[in-house]
Amino acid sequence: MAVQQFNLDAGQRAERKLLITVAEWTEGSGSTPTREILGTRTEDSSIEYNPDIETTTDILGINYTDLNRTQPQQDFDPYLILGGSKLGAKLNDIRRRNALSELSQFTVYIITAFVGDASGGYAAEKHTGCTITYNSIGGDSNVNFPISVYFSNNITLGTVNKLADDFEFTATSGTIGG
Amino acid sequence: MDKNEQIVNYFLTCPQIQDSPLYFNFIQAEDSTTQILTDSNDIYANKTYIDGSELKLYNFTIIMFRSVSPNAVAKVIGYTNENIVDLADIQALIDWVTDQNELKNFPNFGENCIVQSIKPTTLNPIFSGIDTEVSPNLAVYNVTFQVEYLDISKKIWR
Repeated sequence: MAVQQFNLDAGQRAERKLLITVAEWTEGSGSTPTREILGTRTEDSSIEYNPDIETTTDILGINYTDLNRTQPQQDFDPYLILGGSKLGAKLNDIRRRNALSELSQFTVYIITAFVGDASGGYAAEKHTGCTITYNSIGGDSNVNFPISVYFSNNITLGTVNKLADDFEFTATSGTIGG
Repeated sequence: MDKNEQIVNYFLTCPQIQDSPLYFNFIQAEDSTTQILTDSNDIYANKTYIDGSELKLYNFTIIMFRSVSPNAVAKVIGYTNENIVDLADIQALIDWVTDQNELKNFPNFGENCIVQSIKPTTLNPIFSGIDTEVSPNLAVYNVTFQVEYLDISKKIWR
C-alpha cells in the first residue's frame, strides 16, 4: 500500500491543531459512544512513545539496536475543569468514587488531519482499551486536573469522515498489535 | 461582531456612564464626560492552544473628566469635598466592572469569541492631572480595562 502523502504544500508546516487526540467511551451498556477532543486550553502536548531500546555492540564495534516495544503516552497539563467538558465530568466522577478500573475503558483516536481530506477521509489510528489517568487536582486561579493518556497499541488503522465529535471511523486494516 | 461597538453597548448599561455623554476614540474635555479609547493589543500576548483556539486580550482605557474644587479639605461637619466625591464616583465604575466580572456578565463578542473575564488593570482610578486651560478646571482620571477572550474561529474540530 502506497504511503499517503501530506496534504500540505511543499515546505508548509503542519499546524499543531491538525494532530488531534479524541477520547471515546460509553455510558452503561449499548448506548452510543461519547467523544471529546483532548487539549482544550492546553498549550503544548506531545505523544511520547517511550521506546524500550536495547543496544549491544559486537567485538568489531558495530552497534545493534533492538526496539522491543513502545508505550505511547500523552500528557495534558493543564487540563482545566471547564463547563461543558464531558470527559472532565466523567473523570471527576470516577475520581470521587475511586473507581480506578473504569479508567481503562477508553478508546482513543489519533487523527492526523495533515493526511487525507474531507472527501476521502482523514487518516486515523484507533486504540482500544486505553487508560486515562488523572494526576492531580487543584492549581492557582483555576482548577487544573491534569491527565495522562496511555495508548494501548491495540490499533486499527482507518479514516474519519469529518473533524467533529460525530465522525464515522472506517477501518482500512485489521487490528495491529494488541 | 464588532468588539468596539459591543464594549460601548456594555458600558451604556453602567450607572456611572449611562447618564453622561460618552465618546469613543474622541476626547471632549468637559465636566462629567466619559471617553472610551482603544489601546494596542499585543499579539504576542496571545496564547495558542493545541486545538487551534487562541486566548486574546482586548485592552481599552476609559478617561473621565470632572470639575475640580480648589477648596481645602476641611474637617467641617456637613462639608463634602467635591474632588473626593468625584473620585468615589469613578471608583464606582471600577467596582461595577468588577461586580459584572464576578457575575459573569460580559460584553458579547460573538459566537466565535468566548469572553473569559473583564477586569480593571488597577484597583483605583489613575489621576492623570488637572487641565487648567479650561474653566472650570478639570481633573482627568483614567482606568484601563482588559477583556480576556477565547477566539475559537480557527478551531478545526467542531
